[in-house]
This record gives sequence, C-alpha cells and structure tokens, in this order.
Amino acid sequence: MGRIKEPLIRITRREDMPWWKSMLIRLGAVVAALCVSAAFISAAAPSSKGFFGYFGSLFSGTFGTERRIWMLLQNTALLLMVAVALVVAFKMRFWNLGGNGQVLMGCLASAVCMFYLGGKLPDPVVWLLMFVSGVLAGAVWACIPALFKAFFNTNESLFTLMMNYIAVCLVAFFISLWYPEGTGAMPPLSDGALPSFGSGQMGRTLPIVLVAVVITAAIYCYLRFHKHGYELSVVSDSKNTAKYAGINVKKVIIRTMILSGALCGIVGFILVGSVNHMVSTTMDDNMGFTGIMVAWMGNFNPLIMAAVSLFIIFLSRGMAQVCTDFGYTSEALSDTVIGIIYFFFIGCEFFIRYKVHINRRKLMRIFHIKKGGKDGSEPEENQAPEISEAEPAPQEQDGRCEPECERAVPETKEEVS
Amino acid sequence: MDMFFASAIEFGVIFLFGCVGEILTEKSGHLNLGIPGIMCVGAAGGCFGAKLCLAAENPSGVLTVFVAILFAMLFACALGGIYGVLTVSLRCNQNVTGLACTIFGVGFTSFFLNNVVLKGDASAKLSRAGLRYFNAGIPGADKLGWFGTVFLDHGILVYLAVVIAILAALLLRYTKTGLNLRAVGEDPAAADAVGIKVNAYKYAFVLIGAAVAGLGGLSYIMGYMNGIVDATVDQTIQGIGWLSIALVIFTMWKPGLAIPGSILFGALYILSTKIAGISFVQARLLELIPYAVTIVVLIVTSIAGRRETQPPASLGLPYFREDR
Repeated sequence: MGRIKEPLIRITRREDMPWWKSMLIRLGAVVAALCVSAAFISAAAPSSKGFFGYFGSLFSGTFGTERRIWMLLQNTALLLMVAVALVVAFKMRFWNLGGNGQVLMGCLASAVCMFYLGGKLPDPVVWLLMFVSGVLAGAVWACIPALFKAFFNTNESLFTLMMNYIAVCLVAFFISLWYPEGTGAMPPLSDGALPSFGSGQMGRTLPIVLVAVVITAAIYCYLRFHKHGYELSVVSDSKNTAKYAGINVKKVIIRTMILSGALCGIVGFILVGSVNHMVSTTMDDNMGFTGIMVAWMGNFNPLIMAAVSLFIIFLSRGMAQVCTDFGYTSEALSDTVIGIIYFFFIGCEFFIRYKVHINRRKLMRIFHIKKGGKDGSEPEENQAPEISEAEPAPQEQDGRCEPECERAVPETKEEVS
Repeated sequence: MDMFFASAIEFGVIFLFGCVGEILTEKSGHLNLGIPGIMCVGAAGGCFGAKLCLAAENPSGVLTVFVAILFAMLFACALGGIYGVLTVSLRCNQNVTGLACTIFGVGFTSFFLNNVVLKGDASAKLSRAGLRYFNAGIPGADKLGWFGTVFLDHGILVYLAVVIAILAALLLRYTKTGLNLRAVGEDPAAADAVGIKVNAYKYAFVLIGAAVAGLGGLSYIMGYMNGIVDATVDQTIQGIGWLSIALVIFTMWKPGLAIPGSILFGALYILSTKIAGISFVQARLLELIPYAVTIVVLIVTSIAGRRETQPPASLGLPYFREDR
C-alpha cells in the first residue's frame, strides 16, 4: 500500500447530477465572475463608485429609462435569433463560425434592394424583395461551406470564418461604390424602410420580439419533434449510424446549413429594414460569435438560450453605463467583462461533468509532515493508519473502489469538435 | 518593387508568429481558436512594456525592445494560460474556449490600449520608438541595393520571427522533445503509457505557442505600423489571427514551410494598398484576396487529402486518462 504513489487529486466522470444542482453551479459561476469583474473595475477605475455602485450602474444602464428597456428587448431578440440559427448547425456538430458573415450578407442584400428599388416600386413590394434577397443571401453564404464540408470534408470552422471577412469586404466595396466621396459610412435611406407599429422605440421593438419568439418556438419544435431534428442528432452522434439508417448525410448537412444561414439572413433583413435603414461593415455587432457562446451556454436548448441572451445583452448594455459612470473612455469594457464571464462559465462545466476526489489522507499527511518538520522520507506505513484513524475519509474510500468510468453515451456538448 | 517585397516580409512575419505559435499548440493536440485574441493581448502588453521604458528620462533602445518583447510574451502567456487551464486541466470544449479567449482578448486590448497605454504623450513616444528602435535595420543595409532593402533593412522582430520558426522546425523534427510532443498530439493515451507527461507537454506548448503568437501582435503595431496605434487595431489583428490559423493548414503543420507561406500571405494582404493606379473602389475588392485564397487553399488541401496534410490525430479532443 505504502509503495503505491497515490495522486492527491483524482477525477472521475459523473453522469448523475440533478439539473437543479448543475444550474446552481452555473449560477454560482456567473455570480463569481460578476463579483470578480466588479472588484477589478471598482478598484482600478479612474472615478470609481465602489463595488455596489458597479451593480447600480449596471442596472440603471439597462432598465433606467423606458427606451433602454425596449432596446434591451430588441437586442436580445436579435441575438437570440442568431443564436437559434447557429444552434441548428451545432446540433449537427457543424462549427458555423460564420454567423457574422451570414448576418452581414443578409444586411447587404436587403440594403441593395433598398438602395436600387426604394422609392421606385411600391413599398410592400420592396419589403418582400428585401426579405427574399436577405434570406437568400444568408442561405447562400452558409450553403457554400456546407457544400464543401459535405462533399470534401473541408474544415468548416475556418471556411466560415473566411466567409465573414469576404462579407465585410463586399459591404465595404458596395458602400464605396455607392458613396465614392464618402468616408466609408452610409447615411440612412429613407425609402423602403419597414413601418413601425405605434410610436417610439416600442413600435420598432415589438415586431422584432414577436418574430424572435415565433422563430425560437419554431426551431424548438423543429429540433424536438420534427423528423429533420431527429436526423440532425443522429448525424451529430455518428455519421456511420446515420448512413446505415438510410439518412443522406450530405443532404442533411446542406439542408441544415441553408436553414441556419437563412435565419441569419432574416436577422440581417431586420437590421437593415427596421433598425438601421443602412448597412455598415460592423453591423453584425459580432453577434455570430456571441451567438455561439449563447448557444453553448444555453445547452443548445432554445428556451434556456433566450434567458442567456437576455443576460448577455443586459451585461453589454449595462456595461456601457458603467463605462461612463466609472470614467472609462472605451466601450470595449463590456467585451472584457463578458469574456471573464465566459471563462467562469466554461470552467464550471468541469465541476458538472466530473467529480473531484481529494485524497484526504494524503492531504493530511502532507500537512502533518510539514507541521512536524519531518522530512518526506519517513516511512509511509507508520503515518497512514494513524491519520486514517484520526480522520475517516469515507468519500475517498468508496471513491477508490469505484470501477473505472467507461465512456458513456456522449453528452451533446463535450464531444463536439 | 523592392519596397513591396520588403513590406511583404515585414507584414508576413506577423502571420509567421501567429502561424508558428498555432502549429506548436496544435502539435500538442489543442486547437487554439484564441490565437487572434492572444495576438491582440500580446500587442497590448508589448505597447505597455514599451511605454513603461519610454517613461524614463533617457530611454534605452535595447532595453525598450527587450521589455516590450518580454511583456508581449507575458501578457500572451497569461491568456494562453487561461486557455490551458480550461482545456487541459478542466477539459472544456476547445472551440468554445478559444472563441471566448478571442472575444475577451480583442475586447481587453481595445480597452487596455485606450484607457491605460495611450494616456498622455504615450502615442507620440511609441511611434518614435517604433521607427527608431523596432525598425532599426542592420547598419549598411542601404548600401547593398535591392538585396539590402528586401532582406537586411528590417527591425529585430522580423529576424526573431524567422529564427523562432527555424528553431520550431528543428525542435519538432530532430529533438526528443519534438518527438514526444508529436506523440502527445497524435495519441495522448499511448504517450501517457510510455511515460510521457502528457499534461506537462500540453501546458508547456500551449504557453509557448501563445507567447510566440503574442509577438505577432507586437510586430504588427511596433514593426509594420511603426508604433502607430490606430482605432481599429484590435479588429485588424483579429483578422490577421484568423488568417494565421488558416495558414497552419496551408503549411501542413510545418514551421519551415510557414516562412515562405507567411511571406506570400503578407504580400497578398498588402496588395491592395501597394498597387498604384487603382481606384478606392477597386482596392476594396482587392482586400478580399487573402481570404479568398485561404478558402481555395482549404478546399484544395481537403480534396487532395494526403496523409501528410492531416492535422494531429487527437486535435481538439480532450484527454481524460480514465477514459481508456
């Protein structure tokens, strides 16, 4: 016994955590992350308002006025739509990092319709064309990597990333084509803008939220109850099983990506038609990347994802207020804090999926030796029983007898690669 | 024309740092999509280090360059360390962790540069240091005609990049460490069985890769931009970072091949700014060339699909000893 070198910390897989416990762990991680960021910012800011002032600013930035609340809802709806679009692809383990590009192409196509046809055709026709072209553009942008993935197994994550930048270049090209004398920015167009229902920010926000709710519900049902959703999960678990079951894997990949891109295209259409009435190279607002994090943090469940995107937008809008209140000049603080939250959230997954056994006997021995000032060469047989009598370690005892955890049914998340 | 090649080399080394860093990381079986963020953070750290040195009465050039490089590596290692803890010890999903690193790194850099580094007269000092210290060519280079302009008239970071690439190539190909590293990347379980410390190798090379990539960000600001920090620097470096990751596939995980590959991409990247006589609108279209070429490269390598062009076998998979 004494000859065997036991590790201090041993890790085993676990499958049996109740959902409320895992939720508590995640919540704890988020709270811890918020406290860490609050501590840092309130300690280092030029005009600090203290640890609790940070949270005050966070809430007043998000809920301070009625307009801010509507903006919160609008951005949440947009982010949720992108995340839902991406989740369809992730369910298949297709790393669609091209959400930014697909949204941007949807924006661009809608803006092209608006620019050339706005005012020349009746508005409803323009809206229809904007919608169709936006959806098509997003779908095409997603379809190209999917085709190559399906037929040649091309690396989809890098392919879609590059498509993002091509979309950015195309937008820059069209803006400089339309406004050669300009500074690269496009003024808002007046013709062909979507109507707003009611007055103020509320009139713009409500339809967007409605669309987001409909899309989220539809995708939830699609993934949960439709045959296609089932095929997706089979393809994600094992391509060979899918083939054997008579599923056309190539068709599933291409079909799913077209759906994913089309949904992103809808977001682009909304961004141009309803929110901005113009297009710019940064209009995607990095929602493609944020959407991935939302999808992952929401456990690929559209309903949880709604809560997560609300939280992320709450942070990013609140953080803008924190910046002004705490005397920072850069808005990029929100990305930094959200990044910290991602790290904590990603890290806490470990404690949900694995069990950590600390070898208490060895821990005691280490401390004991240190306390007694003896050197490490002390025969271990003499030490071990003494400690185990003093401190029975039931968890460690039965932990050692556990059979090696076999690789069980892969969870949705951790095997994605 | 000489100037074009010189600029291509100067820009190419940014890719080279990022690419070699990513190769070293990937060889240990970790796909680090955080490289763009790490490069950004390296740039921020390097500028911060340079600023600290330049605040002195009579700043020493050698010391400034040295401290800037050290800080760039330290900052990059810090973010690489977060990535390492999350993916090696906590076995989290590498793609998601990498993306989080990128989001954090890019945001942090923009924030840090604006609120900490560029306070006071730092930006003037940095641009002076960029020209004088970081871009000091080898003495006598201008007397050697085109050869001097293209190959000798570069700052220290350019040569450092080439040296690191060659060292990495030698390390992977000819040393026992390299052999063990490749074993860890191909099959960590087998490597573990022969007594290689898998996690130690993974940590070491995630950190080394991050440090090397961090220098890429520094060489963009201090080398190519001559110390001028513009408002969109974080976005630019992010784009360069993604291209560097794609370049890894192009160079087939060989740091030696990365040298010509990155110079080629450097040339493609600066093409739109260096061709005379094209309009502003046409320049916008030329800007997409590097990305389009990358896509073509991805497609071609996937169709060709030879054995040598495959990534390390366990790339992206977490290693859990008890899964065996």
